[in-house]
Amino acid sequence: MCGIGGVKLTQPGPIGEELVQMMSALRHRGTDSTGFALYGPWRDDRLIARLRVDNRERLQSKLKEIEAELQNAGGAFVTPPTWDKADNAKDAFVRLEVAPTTDVERVTTAWIALGGVEAHSFGHSLEIVKDVGDAQTVAARHGIRSFTGTHGLGHCRLATETEVDVAHGHPFWARPFPDVSIVHNGQITNYYKSRRLLEQDGYQFSSDNDSELISVFIADQMKHGKSFEEALRYSIGALDGVFTYLLSIPAGIGLAKDRLAIKPMISAKNEQLVVMATEEQAIRQVLREEIATTSYGQSEVVIW
Amino acid sequence: MVTLDVDVLSPRALNEKLRALMAQGEEVVVENPRSRHNLGVALPGPGHVTFKGSVGYYCGGLSSGGTAVVEGNAGWGIGESMASGFIRVRGSVGQSVGASLRGGTVVVEGDAGPRAGVAQKGGVVVVGGSIGFLSGFMAQRGKLIALGDAADGVGDSLYEGNIFVGGNIHGLGIDAVIIKPTAEEIDEIESIIAEVGMRLEIRDWKKVVAGRKLWYFDKREGQTWLKV
Repeated sequence: MCGIGGVKLTQPGPIGEELVQMMSALRHRGTDSTGFALYGPWRDDRLIARLRVDNRERLQSKLKEIEAELQNAGGAFVTPPTWDKADNAKDAFVRLEVAPTTDVERVTTAWIALGGVEAHSFGHSLEIVKDVGDAQTVAARHGIRSFTGTHGLGHCRLATETEVDVAHGHPFWARPFPDVSIVHNGQITNYYKSRRLLEQDGYQFSSDNDSELISVFIADQMKHGKSFEEALRYSIGALDGVFTYLLSIPAGIGLAKDRLAIKPMISAKNEQLVVMATEEQAIRQVLREEIATTSYGQSEVVIW
Repeated sequence: MVTLDVDVLSPRALNEKLRALMAQGEEVVVENPRSRHNLGVALPGPGHVTFKGSVGYYCGGLSSGGTAVVEGNAGWGIGESMASGFIRVRGSVGQSVGASLRGGTVVVEGDAGPRAGVAQKGGVVVVGGSIGFLSGFMAQRGKLIALGDAADGVGDSLYEGNIFVGGNIHGLGIDAVIIKPTAEEIDEIESIIAEVGMRLEIRDWKKVVAGRKLWYFDKREGQTWLKV
């Protein structure tokens, strides 16, 4: 199953609140984990990194190691690190603002090599927050509701392929490409082969999840010259399986849907926003009144 | 007339009240459906219900009678496995309208998504607009009537279901063939269209039925099987 959704506003606004309501309405599609990819204001002068440290008691010492590795990769903290306020939790979710000179892939690899560290996102605008539990649980711990921005994605997961933990929850960041994220509903059956091919080109993956592969696959296609739309369209033939996914970049959100048209997607829009989700009732959390909706068939690509 | 409010009642409580009222032949209005799932499941006759807005998945499924009108869109599986009754959707519907339909009529004034009339076992589905990918898949009996176009894959792996398309067919499913409907069949579908209040006009009716190559295995037709 899984439920996915996205929202894009014409002016920065309360995307956190909207996505939490949408994912709450899709709760019945999965509560293994819930996550959000939030695009706040673009900051030329810094990159924002979102990390998870699995041992909260050793957070301070781990942050020192994280800072040392950051400096080795040509970066530095722009502001002091902050983390979630759930003091009784075993793990900690850290938000870092680092200098734009940072070598993203190098520092990500070094941080993960420290042990007990997951890198959830990197971007001038993008912040990914994901955790186990339903939308209300995740929103309460991580303060999602107050987040404002231009667009974002949400996902509630019913795991079918890989572990139920934070690292395998959605959204995924297209490591090492800053500001690229994905939420996906479906299964990719040829992902292992595609992943091996990308690994031969030097990419490293942070999980065993097939959805992470899609995001890197698309970002790699764009790096080699394809437009956003061309890359999405190419993926429909190149990826095997049943899938509907939303991929987000700073400019907006793209949709690609497989050749069998199994996994649903509906969208609606007005002058202020466009909203898309697996089920219409999630859309109705944002647009309460009756509104014309559009649904999508086989092999469709849309860019919002 | 009785009004039930989805903002106040859970789907289960609403359905229990709705069934009791419809069994007594009441006219019921359901307010604020807000695209919620499982509204109006297993409805009995002889009552009538109007949903004042869009509904989610499985509305009217497993019903044995009565009439229902959705004044908006419907999600997946509207009228699924309905034995008898009448459902009208003013807007468009998602995937699998009338899936495994056994009897009764489902009318969609807008478009239908993929797999309209999948595994249909009886009854009639009438779609005013187009029908989506793989419509009529494995239908065993009954009629699926589309006044508009049919997307690719129509009639894939059909048994004895009948699909009538008034618009263009963008691609046939495996083992599906187009035949010219008889004058009697055209009379019959036009009388159904008139009965459900849709516009009659001259249409180039096409009937999609099974080519029957998948019904029995014949190794000389191995190519057909390899496509499956």
